[in-house]
Amino acid sequence: MSKSTTKLLASAAVALALGTVSATADIKIGVLVPDSGPAGLFGPSTRNSATLAAKKINASGGINGEQIELVFADVGVPPAEAAQAALRLWKGEGAQAFVGLHDSAVREALIGRFGGQVPYVYTPVYEGNSCADGLYITGETPSQQLAPVIPHLTETEGVSKWYLIGHDYNWPRDTNALAKTYIADAGGEVVGEEYVPFTVSEFDSSLQRIKESGADAVLITLVGGGSVGFNVSFAGFGLDEQAIRLGTLIEENTLAGIGADNANRLYSSSGYFSSIESEAAASFATDYAEAYGTDAPALNGLGQSAYEGLMLLAALANKAGSLDVAAMDAAAEGTTWSTPRGDNTLTGRHMAQTIYLADGSGGAFNIVASFEGVASSEACAN
Amino acid sequence: MSSVLFLNLAWQISTLALVALGLAIVFGKLRIMNMAHGEFVMIGAYAPVITSSMGLPGWLQVPVCLLTVALVAFALERTIIRHLYGRMFDSLLATWGIAILLREAVELIFGRGYQSVSPPISGTISVLGADYPAYRIAVIIGISIGFAALYWWNARSKVATRIKAMVGNPDLAEAVGINTARLSAGAFVFGCCTAGLAGLILAPTIRIEPMMGLDYLIRSFFALVVGGLGSLEGLGIGAGIIAGTQSVLGAVASQTYGYLAVLTLSILFLWLKPDGIRSSSR
Repeated sequence: MSKSTTKLLASAAVALALGTVSATADIKIGVLVPDSGPAGLFGPSTRNSATLAAKKINASGGINGEQIELVFADVGVPPAEAAQAALRLWKGEGAQAFVGLHDSAVREALIGRFGGQVPYVYTPVYEGNSCADGLYITGETPSQQLAPVIPHLTETEGVSKWYLIGHDYNWPRDTNALAKTYIADAGGEVVGEEYVPFTVSEFDSSLQRIKESGADAVLITLVGGGSVGFNVSFAGFGLDEQAIRLGTLIEENTLAGIGADNANRLYSSSGYFSSIESEAAASFATDYAEAYGTDAPALNGLGQSAYEGLMLLAALANKAGSLDVAAMDAAAEGTTWSTPRGDNTLTGRHMAQTIYLADGSGGAFNIVASFEGVASSEACAN
Repeated sequence: MSSVLFLNLAWQISTLALVALGLAIVFGKLRIMNMAHGEFVMIGAYAPVITSSMGLPGWLQVPVCLLTVALVAFALERTIIRHLYGRMFDSLLATWGIAILLREAVELIFGRGYQSVSPPISGTISVLGADYPAYRIAVIIGISIGFAALYWWNARSKVATRIKAMVGNPDLAEAVGINTARLSAGAFVFGCCTAGLAGLILAPTIRIEPMMGLDYLIRSFFALVVGGLGSLEGLGIGAGIIAGTQSVLGAVASQTYGYLAVLTLSILFLWLKPDGIRSSSR
């Protein structure tokens, strides 16, 4: 390499460094996203949504008047590694708050590592029952997704015999424990309950049991590829004629895998769908498409939750006047903020939000009902 | 109940036998432990995605599938695999790398998300008093005919003998006039094409995404461990035992016990009868 080129590059590097310094924000926020692992599919939409939120926060004055900058880390890894990655952002890069989308095992590891010293917003759908200093939760819990929806479907679809099927871990089991009470309250009965290991990729025997049970509704808490495989076979056997399906983690990607042919009478309950027809949701979708193009990773409830998390962090820190955990914990109860999901309130450290019921028939979610201000039955003492 | 269980068994066994066929040829005949086998199933399953994204008519799915898989397999055979014949452990590592490469390539082209494929025949028909998906019935019949033809051809053809000679003593095989380069490339590409075809056939009934191949590699491997290498009968027996155990236990007990039994069987066979039930002389 010639000397002049080296000089040029060196000065370019200095300019770049200076440029970064002058644009450097006052507050760094760590965003923990699943770039790898089973939830890796949601990495890109999570990053995009978080970036949009940061733009929005900075445009409206930042957090307590200071601009924010996002620093990302991959947490689609085992809990110990994820905690290490978060620690690097915290102590290494100086992140002053965290927003995370990852599984519950990683969450517990992070709670241990943070020790209540840094605010941490956990955003995905989860089973509930997690409280800690500095922890705020925006994700839907089973009570929110089911309490309004099961009575609604009982009435509109006239169903009463429920079959519960899920993967064998705590989220499906906790969801179904609650579902049983809502089904009983709505006058229905549970005609079968089944948990399958993650390694199973064919569901023929489960489908046969559903058929014989005479179920007219199936509550699905299978996740990802398992949910796709189950739903494809379900329709293949013509069971969509016998029973409606309700899923609490069937988002846009999963529906794309299930396909239009296999989605007849498949309902999904969530706090977000890309097809929500409110002004806020439509403008969010427009911003997303403008920033990342029409080929961008599809918007979905998981990826979009990073936006919710950052907006809560900003609203709460502004209300508390600082990013200090004690001040934020004291100010947390009753914090309100508006997002594409609707008007939200923090109660018991969980997010009371609008819950949407969408019908996936035809391969695209069509919102058929919305329930405003649904609070979680989870509540953490303040 | 029993007729659906019987049809489920027929479906599971026939599809597993088809998926495992390619692995049996490549592993059993060429002594290449092809860890990228599942990725060829995956590429085959993406064939309908290719045709629909290019706006091609549905009947082109089969030629597009075979052409894509054959091209990929041939390129890999000429550049990497041919150096590894008879080196089982080296081939395992190399093909594991190839598997990762193929997954990443498909992810780059089609993205990480799920794809869906419509079956050419939809709806259910009544068979033996049970409503069963018409497409599955057609596939079961098709695979049975295919295997019967393969068995008939295999019994008459000298290709299998030539391959055995080639792997056993390549120099001597060359000396007696066997074109080993062509023969080995042909066997590898044929094995991969059957995997691709299996993927195409299964596509309307499964999830389709870049990581799907692993499931099929593992189940195929179990079938070969139990059935033994080197014969079509062994393949059929292995597929029958593995798919049968999973289906029957899954139906009468639970899926967890079914999977547990499959793992236990595979371990017992590897330990006590490493050549499987029907093994050809090595």
